[in-house]
Amino acid sequence: MIQAAETPEGPMDEARVADMLQKLKEGREKVLREIRRVIIGQDEVVDQVLLSFFAGSHCLITGVPGLAKTLLIMSLGDALDLTFRRIQFTPDLMPSDITGTEILEEDRSTHKRNMKFLRGPIFANIVLADEINRTPPKTQAALLEAMQECQVSVGGTTYLLQKPFFVLATQNPIEQEGTYPLPAIQQDRFMFSIIIGYPERGEEIEIVSQTTSKRPAKLDCVMHGEELLLYQRVVREIPVADSVANYAVRLTGLSRPSQEGAPDFVKDYVTWGAGLRASHYLVLAGKARAVLDGRFGVSVGDIEAVAMPVLRHRIITNFKAEAARIRSEQIIERLLEAVPKPSSGL
Amino acid sequence: MAGSGVSAQSLYQQTQEVVAQLKQVIVGQDEAMRQVLTAFFAGGHCMITGVPGVAKTLLIASLAKIMKLSFKRIQFTPDLMPSDITGTEILEEDMTTGRRELKFVRGPVFANIVMADEINRTPPKTQAALLETMQEKQVTIGGTTYPLEQPSFVLATQVPYEQEGTYPLPEAQQDRFMFSVLMDYLEESDEVTVIKASTGTAEVELEQLMEKEDLLAYQDLVLRVEIPRELVEYIVDLASASRPENKTAPDFIKEYVAWGAGVRASQYIVLGAKAGAAIAGRMAVEPEDIRGIVAPVMRHRIGLSFRADVDRITVEDVIARLVERMPAPSATA
Repeated sequence: MIQAAETPEGPMDEARVADMLQKLKEGREKVLREIRRVIIGQDEVVDQVLLSFFAGSHCLITGVPGLAKTLLIMSLGDALDLTFRRIQFTPDLMPSDITGTEILEEDRSTHKRNMKFLRGPIFANIVLADEINRTPPKTQAALLEAMQECQVSVGGTTYLLQKPFFVLATQNPIEQEGTYPLPAIQQDRFMFSIIIGYPERGEEIEIVSQTTSKRPAKLDCVMHGEELLLYQRVVREIPVADSVANYAVRLTGLSRPSQEGAPDFVKDYVTWGAGLRASHYLVLAGKARAVLDGRFGVSVGDIEAVAMPVLRHRIITNFKAEAARIRSEQIIERLLEAVPKPSSGL
Repeated sequence: MAGSGVSAQSLYQQTQEVVAQLKQVIVGQDEAMRQVLTAFFAGGHCMITGVPGVAKTLLIASLAKIMKLSFKRIQFTPDLMPSDITGTEILEEDMTTGRRELKFVRGPVFANIVMADEINRTPPKTQAALLETMQEKQVTIGGTTYPLEQPSFVLATQVPYEQEGTYPLPEAQQDRFMFSVLMDYLEESDEVTVIKASTGTAEVELEQLMEKEDLLAYQDLVLRVEIPRELVEYIVDLASASRPENKTAPDFIKEYVAWGAGVRASQYIVLGAKAGAAIAGRMAVEPEDIRGIVAPVMRHRIGLSFRADVDRITVEDVIARLVERMPAPSATA
């Protein structure tokens, strides 16, 4: 279930947090500046991926091929000096292709044979799980399990994954035969569901002009993995006012049709509302947004800003909604209007 | 010194010589030859669709010889494994000391030109191994990364019709190929020429015309070719008009197309046009450079709807109608 991050050193003192906050704001600018050297447009996607990095959570990205998803993630890996592996999911991919396998190895001097574990591609800081819906459920589950537990158990031994650890799974929206859509429960493990669309005309013109006139730039490292881990702790140190936390909980609760006081459009169109993870991630992502903005406190505005990517894959609409062409995005927009905001609001 | 002092003019001349050499061994297929050469100088990969026996392998092997590049052909089969492509680690024993060590034996993908024959006869994981290597230009095995030798060029062929036991390449994987080249049966007169030559005794000795460094320098030259902004705008508009979710797309697109050409299509049309201009000896793209490459870039990037099947509309029809509706701006307009 949902756990608080380990805090081996205990809480940080306020002066240190304030100092870190300033550094983090500068760090973010630097990272963004590097990313902008290779990625044109897609502001919202870049923002959301960065948020989940700093919140220490995983992302699901839906978009057609060729929209620089791999490039974005690789660039982030370069800018943050993190190891990166891409796994192409296929119908015949096996769990051990992700986690690793044991092989028999002979000791040269003693001729004794030992089992040796060969680490799979999941032992990287950033794992791009490309087209996750092309692989059967057992292999999907192997990734999600490792993602959840931050470890891999093979042959009775447990191997810890590297930290920071970040999974970005992509889904191709083009409906093809032989795809296995991720079940709602599995999708729930991702903090954000991000939709990446075609760039605007002007952006596409610029992308095309740039990519065909020079080789891609190699990015400079502007932040290290350990710093990122520290910043992830800072994110969790940020206080959240009761009124704001209550708002996040209310927003989530009212998306459930069984909840008392749920708006009529929820009762009409929603089969399943968002679960407990939704309010957890609303607050966590809200904290990350505040921190990246250099603020020491989560506002209602932060919660609203992250509501779409947090709730999008957690609200399951019914047949009636499909007939009326209403999707979870519209439900979220209407929820944001309908749920009263706390008056203090920050 | 090889590689230095290249210009569009020298590329034009060398290409003429290369084509002349190729024509000694290959009859007809001018269009396919031109497209493969364009992809070569643009640094993109090609997918070739055609019936067996139309000299696909001969074309590529000859090209490799002329350009002095290493060439490997991989026959894709249902039981081919990823390590058959990338390579494997083997245990090697030193005869003198008796010590055993793991040694990486490079697979066929470590050649400058790789011909992936009948790629759709192999299961997806093995296909993915090739495409990944192609994209990343390196192989990672046992924690060590081995970069491919540059230039690297993949030419994949597909069994054309839906046969039993084929694994069609998913569209995201097809999108990684710059061109989809069609090679058709020869004209009757050409076929007669081929038969006469192939059953005779004459052997052709191909001349080596280009160095590896030249080719890499030409690939850099292509990137420096200028393209007027209105042509880039035209290309982007053309690609986005093929996307049915685009509100301004023509009606026949909305009716017949399930998914349209993505951003890679506009990128590759521009890159292909630049390569075409350079091969023609110019350092600036003209509208005529675009015309010939729209179909090879778009044909594997457009998915048709069920409706198109019913009305017997093909991808070629859709592209032809699209280009007819949106002609390229005329020169110096």
